[in-house]
Amino acid sequence: MTSTHTNSHTEAAKMEQVITEFFYKSLLIILESRSSYVSSRNYSGEQTVSSPSSSSSSSSSVRPRDKWFNLALRECPSALENLDLCRRSNFEPVVVDVILEQKPLDWGPASFSPTSDLVRNLSSKNKNSYFWNSDQQDESGSEMKCEKIIERWFVQNESRKGRDCNSGNRRSSCNNLSALYKKLILMLRSLYVTVRLLPAYNIFRDLNSSGLICSFKLVPRVSSFVEPLTRKEEVDMQRFWFTPVDTSCGRLCLSVLYHSSISDMSSESSTPMSPQFIPDYVGSPLADPLRRFPSLPVSHGSPSSLPFSRRHSWSYDHYKASPPLVSFSPSPTHSESNALVSNPSSLGLPPMSLPPHPPETSLAHKRNTNFDEYCPSPNFSASPSPSPSPSLPIYIPWTHLSKALLRSESAPVNIAAPKLANTPALSGKQNLPPCPPLKITRAGTSRTDNIRVPAETDATIEKIFSFGKEDCWKYSGVKAFSNSSPRISCSRSSSRSLQDDFDYSEFPCPFDVEDGEMMDPGSRKSQDAAVGALVRLLKKAPPLRQNVSLNFSEASRPEILSNSIPKQSQILEAVTVEYAAAPNIASFRLVASKTTTDALEELRGYKVMKNLLLSEGGKAYTSNVASAAEHSSTSKDRSIL
Amino acid sequence: MNCEVCQLKELEVEHFEIREVLRCILHTIVFHRALGLVRPKDVDLELFEITYVQCGDVELEKKIDEKIDHFISWVEKHPNKKSQICLSFYEVKSKQPSWFTNKTERLYWEQWYVNLNVTQHPKHHSSKSHHTKLIVDPGESATEERSCRRAMVEASLREVLFQIIKFVNEKKDHVPPISEGVIYFPYEITIPRKFQ
Repeated sequence: MTSTHTNSHTEAAKMEQVITEFFYKSLLIILESRSSYVSSRNYSGEQTVSSPSSSSSSSSSVRPRDKWFNLALRECPSALENLDLCRRSNFEPVVVDVILEQKPLDWGPASFSPTSDLVRNLSSKNKNSYFWNSDQQDESGSEMKCEKIIERWFVQNESRKGRDCNSGNRRSSCNNLSALYKKLILMLRSLYVTVRLLPAYNIFRDLNSSGLICSFKLVPRVSSFVEPLTRKEEVDMQRFWFTPVDTSCGRLCLSVLYHSSISDMSSESSTPMSPQFIPDYVGSPLADPLRRFPSLPVSHGSPSSLPFSRRHSWSYDHYKASPPLVSFSPSPTHSESNALVSNPSSLGLPPMSLPPHPPETSLAHKRNTNFDEYCPSPNFSASPSPSPSPSLPIYIPWTHLSKALLRSESAPVNIAAPKLANTPALSGKQNLPPCPPLKITRAGTSRTDNIRVPAETDATIEKIFSFGKEDCWKYSGVKAFSNSSPRISCSRSSSRSLQDDFDYSEFPCPFDVEDGEMMDPGSRKSQDAAVGALVRLLKKAPPLRQNVSLNFSEASRPEILSNSIPKQSQILEAVTVEYAAAPNIASFRLVASKTTTDALEELRGYKVMKNLLLSEGGKAYTSNVASAAEHSSTSKDRSIL
Repeated sequence: MNCEVCQLKELEVEHFEIREVLRCILHTIVFHRALGLVRPKDVDLELFEITYVQCGDVELEKKIDEKIDHFISWVEKHPNKKSQICLSFYEVKSKQPSWFTNKTERLYWEQWYVNLNVTQHPKHHSSKSHHTKLIVDPGESATEERSCRRAMVEASLREVLFQIIKFVNEKKDHVPPISEGVIYFPYEITIPRKFQ
């Protein structure tokens, strides 16, 4: 008798424990598929290991509570265990409301990570409501959020009145217990599959997996008593019943009310934040205009020594012997495509491609942006000086520069880029590291290898060069003419001599005549030859105005540059210009900075000279002819006489 | 013990959808019959917005994939035909040992029939790939039709999964007791003779 009583008591206790664990397990299954911090979805690290019951897996990987109903799930937060407080007995139901909260888009990141603290809200003596909440919500105020119950789960043990729970013999109760346990296992398996088939799971999965900043979140709320849903709320919901499992004292019931069409609601709210331009991103000149990029070339160095390589639209592939002096580093730091905003896909956000570079606006910092899609600001830097470190950089707003370059007062003449070379002083040690290639695509820009030298002295800086894909240029310095209009001289660091600077062999001089063609000065050909010789002489003549160039280099200041360029303070990109102190360099600069206008003027001068010579020669010829005629006539007269 | 039979709703699928659909259905059934200690593994379908559950057993996954490959080969040989795949659970009972026989017999206690109607010729399908998404007509109407059809297949698949859940919930008594150390009941996957 006593043993029977003990056994039945034991069986009842076991039954009680089984039912309690069933409540716990079912709640865990529901919550872990509706709360990201409880989820087992990311619990895949151990899933590659064989089944927990296999011999190879360590028993320590399976917690004691995992073994209940043979379903090993992720460790639940401690708060879940506090749910026992809301249930005084196994006959009290548990209701789980899955709430879709929608908030404005100005949620901070913290609001999406609700704390695991359990907030107890006792509203009535019959209502014990525990719900997950976050501090951000409390601070912002509940009136800001829009809540909608998209699921309501009921877990309850319906009592069977008028029946003695402890009755029955030992064998039948034992069988009952094992049968009950098996049936509960099956029910929980079904529950596990069902929670993943309901529409709310898609929202949960998207929230967990994607990095989208969503305006909504799922908040499960556990309580033992809730207000019944309104008729309007219930109309849109469907119910799914799990077949109840009979226990010795009642039956365990599990059901769910769910919205079948919440995907529209979530898809509308899951749009990413609208792209915004961030003017002061890290690395932006606006944030730190005087910051020197590590890619600034130094007098020594190799491409590999650069701290980071950036692709530029101009490479020096064509001029490998002479790495350029000017390097252009776009403002965004790296050219590798990182799906920062992406997708999520994925999580991430779809990579957003920037629109073509808007000169008037600030650039958004997009690490995944290809350089093809915008025009970065060039970082003008040059180190023709023998000093090991470049001098103070000068920053020219790229936008101003580009606009200025496009303005021309006179048609520029293309000067072959490779022909513009450095002074001898720039050779050897001054070989600057080549700038990494940078791809820049500008609408309407054709690929050329030429440098367009600014035409007019008082004009704003014309388009110095048109960017090709593979060219990389460095500027050797800035020079201003007497009317204070600055020019940016282009040079290439090479070992070429000054004579190579203006190799006009590609531009045949109309007066250029072979040496052997110097003939009778009286003849027309000889006149041309003389002019050609004069031209060659002028070519080889030493440069003039050396002192002036020095003054100009001193006078060339950033303010001159900035004066010549329309001030647009929104965008200021780094343009580093260095000044050469050496007279040779200055003179080279003088020579190099000869404009096409100067060349034209020279040509005109030569033409005038030619005409003069011709006219003089003609006169001389005429006089000679006349004199010859006279002479002949005289001789004839003489003969006649 | 009775053998409970469940005829699942027929699904109209294209060839490239067979693998995913069968994996989803078969693993869902087996998960309901894997009553040993399991750590479930969630798997998202690529073609549909459905997440199904696996037991997490590698061997089981391999065997199911092999059977699916075998089924796909059969379908390729018999194109545009209704096909069926049967998942059976049985108990191993040893016969009365006699002088001549010492065989064991299988007592089937549950059979699931998955009915598929494969609508497309399998010539574009690679047996190993389940990523192919054929676009025959790139027109806008064709795309809409395709997405509509895909939604219908997804809804049908969801119905089939709920059908499995309901069946499992309604019929529990025929399930044998759980053996110690056994994760899932012995099973076999076959193609019924009348379809061969």
